[in-house]
Amino acid sequence: MASAMSGEAPIGVSIVDDHPVVIDGVRAWLTTEPRLRVLATGDDPDLVLRAAPEADVILLDLRLHGRMMLDKLAELSAAGRRVVVYSEHTDPATMLAVLDAGATAFLAKHEGREHCVATVLAAASDRPYVPPALAGAMVGDPRPDRPALSDKEREALLLWFQSMSKASVARRMQISEHTVKQYVDRARIKYTRAGRPAATKAALLARAIEDGLVRPEEIGIYRSQASYDRPTP
Amino acid sequence: MSTDLNATGLGATDLSTTELGTTDLSPTDLNATGLGTTDLGTTDLGTTDLGATDLGATDLGATDLGATDLGATASARVPRPEQRATDPAAAEGPAVDVARASDRGARIAAVAIALVWHVAIGLPALLGAWPTLAAPTVVAAGWLAACAIGGYAAHRLLHGLLPPALPLAAALLVVDAAVFAAAGREQLFAAANWAWTGLAWFFVVVLWSRRIRWMIVLLAGHAVIALAALVGDGATAPADLTRYAMYVYGTSSLPVAVFTGAAVIATLARERADTATATFAVRAERDAAERAWADRRARLALVGGAAEQVLAELADGRADPTDPLVQRRCVLAATRLRRLIAESDDVPDPLLHELRAAADLAERNGLPIELIAIGTPPPLPVEIRRRLADPLAAALADATGWARLTVVANPQEVVISLVTPDVDGPAAVDAPADPVGEQVEHVLERDGEIRWTQTRWRRP
Repeated sequence: MASAMSGEAPIGVSIVDDHPVVIDGVRAWLTTEPRLRVLATGDDPDLVLRAAPEADVILLDLRLHGRMMLDKLAELSAAGRRVVVYSEHTDPATMLAVLDAGATAFLAKHEGREHCVATVLAAASDRPYVPPALAGAMVGDPRPDRPALSDKEREALLLWFQSMSKASVARRMQISEHTVKQYVDRARIKYTRAGRPAATKAALLARAIEDGLVRPEEIGIYRSQASYDRPTP
Repeated sequence: MSTDLNATGLGATDLSTTELGTTDLSPTDLNATGLGTTDLGTTDLGTTDLGATDLGATDLGATDLGATDLGATASARVPRPEQRATDPAAAEGPAVDVARASDRGARIAAVAIALVWHVAIGLPALLGAWPTLAAPTVVAAGWLAACAIGGYAAHRLLHGLLPPALPLAAALLVVDAAVFAAAGREQLFAAANWAWTGLAWFFVVVLWSRRIRWMIVLLAGHAVIALAALVGDGATAPADLTRYAMYVYGTSSLPVAVFTGAAVIATLARERADTATATFAVRAERDAAERAWADRRARLALVGGAAEQVLAELADGRADPTDPLVQRRCVLAATRLRRLIAESDDVPDPLLHELRAAADLAERNGLPIELIAIGTPPPLPVEIRRRLADPLAAALADATGWARLTVVANPQEVVISLVTPDVDGPAAVDAPADPVGEQVEHVLERDGEIRWTQTRWRRP
């Protein structure tokens, strides 16, 4: 897979959706960002993948022709494909299942252009991006084995979900916007523990360590999973 | 085309960034009263998770919300009847009420048998045989003591309480022994030895609702005392022993039968009442779910109709997509559809119900509002609920442009937030009078960008 952010190389994106109008709309959003290039579109993940195997990010509609694509998502994620799932199914359980299956990010369809572009850009470099809807699902995660979030991480997620404005969250928590983003992203990285191991989760985690978002000693628990995750050659 | 209407189409074309007027364009009067009139909140039946994932926006034709079988899922979680209490009189609940009513009849019968026997058969025999008794005063004192014990136990039973079984049973055995010792050989098997025949009925009364084994133990003690009296009086001839066996059998079997029968009847009554309670609960939950479902269907028809109309006008070219008013109609229709889709509970939680009513009201005034609820709030006292919801409802009334109302709930915490654009307006944003009231925190902020109202309850 081509390195996403190296120099001027544009980021290749594939769009899988069964509604042409949505494909056109998302394509229109993405073209506002010069670093992104839409390589292939279609309603069948396999065909789209074959058409553009070099795509850095796949935008996948969770529901294609009436079927939920969680299995397909897990398959792609296990193979190291960065999948950004976008869906109108914004009930928390579905969003968490999508993270568990290894999606790099989840985007609610109504969340709009800015979130869409930001999510794809972040995903291409294996960095987390948590749109408000996903933050809500994480903060309300009722599962007993949910990742343990710190109070600050939880509060940042909650306020971000409520206000959709990092500036407002920063004011409220009396911290910088950058720190707000760090709390939110760290919470997201903790979710790489949940569900089955996947190459994409390992990649998110590795990049988070590289960026200093989490320290390796903080996440000793992850390491075994990360090494286990590495795609076999 | 009406069934192909989906929120994503509207969302994808990003109509929401346009300037929003304040005119009410709502083409249909959104019905906010359906849920309001049937106060489902008070039934407190808990909620069933409807598995909302299938109410997909893409499938949301004008008829598809009905596809989920609410009736069937409603029975998935039924409040179980309360744990059965040992003492039916001490517990509460409709099942127990029924059981108590049927138990009361049996109590009256048992008390009547014991006391009538004691007075109508025991007393005349005692008085008639007075001269021939070994120690008539002791026998009479025993009779009075039994009267007192039985009277006290009967008083407790008839007032819905249980008598203290152990002390009363012990006292009865003491009376038993004293009467047997004082009766003397001549009256041992006669009616004047009233303890032989009458005392077992007192056992029934004092041991009411206890386990049958204690009844057996008490009757065994009674038999041993009688045998000891026989031996003590030297009445050990085979004929005496046969009579003894007959007496023990005759005086025990009937009280045991009554005692067991009463217990069985009480159990059956309780079971029947439990079943009735469960059935009622299922029925009430199903009714509530059906009402909520019908209401949602009605609102969907209204909202779907409004959306259809906009789409039809757009398709015919009658409406101009660049017209801010048309865009606003689209935004409103899309928001309403999304909100309907997001309602995944079949019996609305009272708090969510209140918030939805407030949201519906604001929406009727043309405010696009997003309401997202995550988690189910725990049952909260009305006062707490009011303190949580009221500031939001008030803020919602002042909102212009758009509104985002979120609820995040878990058993430990409920946080409600309303975010609206911060436009110049009446500075009605008074700081909350009591920012940290009992258990409910109320935060209000405006930063030039957004107005943010938040209430938060934490389990103390």
